[in-house]
Amino acid sequence: MCDSCGCDLTDNHSHKTDSRVIEVHQSLLAANDAIAAENRAHFEAMGVVAINMISSPGSGKTTLLEKTIERLKGKIRIGVIEGDIETDRDAQRIRAKGVPVVQMTTGGACHLDAAQIHKGLHLLEKEPGGDQLDLLFIENVGNLVCPATFDLGEHQRVVLVSVPEGPDKPAKYPKAFISSQIFVITKTDLLPYFDFPVAEAKADALHLNPRLQVMALSATSGEGFEAWIEYLQEVTENKGSGVQAGGRKEGTYP
Amino acid sequence: MHEMSLVQALLAQLTTLAAEHDKKRVITVTLDIGPLSGVVIDSFQFGFDILSAETSLTKGAKLIIINPPATYQCIRCGHRQSAAVRPDHCPECNETLLIPEGGDAIILNQVEME
Ligand SMILES: Nc1nc2c(ncn2[C@@H]2O[C@H](COP(=O)(O)OP(=O)(O)OP(=O)(O)O)[C@@H](O)[C@H]2O)c(=O)[nH]1
Ligand SMILES: [Mg+2]
Ligand SMILES: [Zn+2]
Ligand SMILES: [Zn+2]
Ligand SMILES: [Zn+2]
Ligand SMILES: [Zn+2]
Repeated sequence: MCDSCGCDLTDNHSHKTDSRVIEVHQSLLAANDAIAAENRAHFEAMGVVAINMISSPGSGKTTLLEKTIERLKGKIRIGVIEGDIETDRDAQRIRAKGVPVVQMTTGGACHLDAAQIHKGLHLLEKEPGGDQLDLLFIENVGNLVCPATFDLGEHQRVVLVSVPEGPDKPAKYPKAFISSQIFVITKTDLLPYFDFPVAEAKADALHLNPRLQVMALSATSGEGFEAWIEYLQEVTENKGSGVQAGGRKEGTYP
Repeated sequence: MHEMSLVQALLAQLTTLAAEHDKKRVITVTLDIGPLSGVVIDSFQFGFDILSAETSLTKGAKLIIINPPATYQCIRCGHRQSAAVRPDHCPECNETLLIPEGGDAIILNQVEME
């Protein structure tokens, strides 16, 4: 076989240059996805359900986690991996609630990747109670675009939009909505002050992803919190079975 | 700009391939970037132009990006259609809820090297 082009001819043909086309057919995310699969196996070995929280900066991810921890104290053992570009302020807020937490700072990168979660997971297991969890929240870097591309090995992905951001976010940032299972509209206590037709935002999101489950809540007033708590209880109770069914299958993100 | 991270992943893959095949220079790189991949092709090209110029292996390499369509399945009647831009409704039953399938890949298909 010819070494230059891989053809079967052994004589009577020449190659103008010594160039050769190599067939690769591999995802650019292959390295990330391989680590994400390891993370998923690690979560399952720990018996923990992992939820990746994605939103723009300031949509209320950390506040929602603070209130969720208060509500589920003594019922569900929660741990958190915080992702931010700089500072451990969000981790300090979570630590004040008395649950195991680690802060991953990306030093500039606008998203978490699977390798950072792998590292975070090992650090979390060293925290008191960090290896005895039912539910692990991963708060991604505040950004509605880039985090959607990177599988972290999570079982469920939650995308959040707050009322002040406006209802057009699903239409403008489709990827985050297509790849999530849950869409939470936050800060509903502010609905009287902003033009945010909830039905329109919901319809736009369902148009992109008809399987999306939509919730609307306020961490401040507690309105709409029951559906969120019920969802969390359901995914943690059904770990190993319901999560697989309700969650996503391996390799369904690029 | 996660496109930069993806370009870095591409260049790492090219470096490995060149070593495996004992090649010194990349001539063309062919990628599939789906319409639902979340990748802005102009940003990807921009990142590639900057980072590829930094090493002799990829300096002057040409990037060919193919944008394959995604498939949309109607939630009501199951009809499938292939489209580059999300269709508004199902041509069979007019349903507006369509589930996207595929179209989200970012794949390195071929590399020409010498
Ligand atoms: N009115 C109102 N304000 C809220 C609510 N939830 C959060 N906030 C406020 O919104 C601001 C941002 O909240 P965070 O929880 O820090 O938002 P985040 O998404 O964690 O922000 P980043 O981590 O920086 O991306 C804070 O001033 C919160 O007090 C809510 O339900 N109602
Ligand atoms: Mg936060
Ligand atoms: Zn030949
Ligand atoms: Zn490990
Ligand atoms: Zn980015
Ligand atoms: Zn139809």
